[in-house]
Amino acid sequence: MRLGFNFTLGDTYDMAQRLIGEGHIDYCEFLIDNFFCVDPDELAKAFDCPVGLHIMYSKFLEADRPTLVDFAARLRDYIDALNPIYVSDHILRFSHEGRAFFHLGEIDYSAEYESVRDKVVQWQEMVGQRIHFENYPSIMDGGLEAPAFFERLMKETGAGVLFDASNAVCANRNCGTPFEAWRNVIAKAQHFHVAGYRQSLIEPFISLDTHAEALAPDTLAFLQNFRSVFDKSGATMTYERDDQIEFDDIVVDLKALRDLFGQPEETRHDLALTA
Amino acid sequence: MTLLSLPSRTDRDLYPALMSPQLNAKYPADHKAFVRIDVSLRIYWHTLFDICPELLELSGPDGMSIFRPFMAWAEEKKLAFDWSYYLWVYVWLRQSPFKERLLADDKYLRSIMAASAARWAILDRGRSRGIVIGCADTTDLVIGWKCRNVRLGREIELIEPEEPLPAPPDLFGYFTLPSFELDIFPGWQSLAR
Repeated sequence: MRLGFNFTLGDTYDMAQRLIGEGHIDYCEFLIDNFFCVDPDELAKAFDCPVGLHIMYSKFLEADRPTLVDFAARLRDYIDALNPIYVSDHILRFSHEGRAFFHLGEIDYSAEYESVRDKVVQWQEMVGQRIHFENYPSIMDGGLEAPAFFERLMKETGAGVLFDASNAVCANRNCGTPFEAWRNVIAKAQHFHVAGYRQSLIEPFISLDTHAEALAPDTLAFLQNFRSVFDKSGATMTYERDDQIEFDDIVVDLKALRDLFGQPEETRHDLALTA
Repeated sequence: MTLLSLPSRTDRDLYPALMSPQLNAKYPADHKAFVRIDVSLRIYWHTLFDICPELLELSGPDGMSIFRPFMAWAEEKKLAFDWSYYLWVYVWLRQSPFKERLLADDKYLRSIMAASAARWAILDRGRSRGIVIGCADTTDLVIGWKCRNVRLGREIELIEPEEPLPAPPDLFGYFTLPSFELDIFPGWQSLAR
């Protein structure tokens, strides 16, 4: 298992360089649409390691076709220049009746499957690339249907799943989605996310995917229990941290992941070749 | 546990309430749906007051005398809550009991304009590089620039032009910049709701 760090804006550039230099991570994951005004060749030279490209605001379930075609064309420039290990995106809702959510919404997996499947197919065609879609940190009971949804989506569209382990932990705590229900998804997934979460401020407590805390014991236990299902040739796991960004704290978590999965077999350059 | 008559199986069942304190109040407080909506509403609150903490001087420390009536007004007007979120808060404040104190110190307007410029710079995915925001209450301009370098984040500039631009026809106006230079004035665009 190769470990990576999410690079979302320039203020963590020096820290990401240090994580690479000291061997704590093997690749970097760009939140790529934050960098759409940076020259692709400059971005390609930013880090001496392979990269993944994670899309945040394509809004491909909601945006109109001309907007998506333009977004895909710009994304393509970065794919061509950076030769990423993977390209990933999200299946979620950014708005309702034209009004933006500030805490993004989960889709209704039963009612929306066909429409999402068609949009996934179209979006992959526009980008010209297999895309790995991230699971949501479910709160409501509709999250029980997420594992079957993603399994079917992979089968019918050729898309991958960017399986976020701590999102699955949140879903397990919030709506009881069993870890075992994700087994087939994890087995087929090559790319993973992991981060800290915290509880809501009021009861009945729910767990929120915040990317601001240390990895929780139940997240590490989940990874340990499913270790052989997660770990495979070409697998990557990005450690996400978007707040409370302290180098030493991050290294503690990365070391825990290294201890769990062991040193990767592939070198950095092997990783680039498996893209 | 209180019986919940409103649908709440999926997150989608809650979409209309995720931006509505009034609808949140219709859910029993001991239900997970209430907490989920509360999480959403807190982010609207923090997006406003963490970025523009000066506004708490007007409202008091919990911000609720601004937040609740603004969110109700925004719902009535069907505001999109896009990058212009903060500018609409100013529009509301200007017609609220806070008007006099708001206009007595231009720090509130500067903070609001900078917050909206920053939100545009981080959220907009169009090809424009920058946005210029103007207001009829000031001749100053605020510019938000998207990230232009892998070592940088977004950048916000306050400009006090020697020769002021014409005032926007509405309270606020904006235009976007195709390059990282402020070298055009194509005229003001009005805020979309």
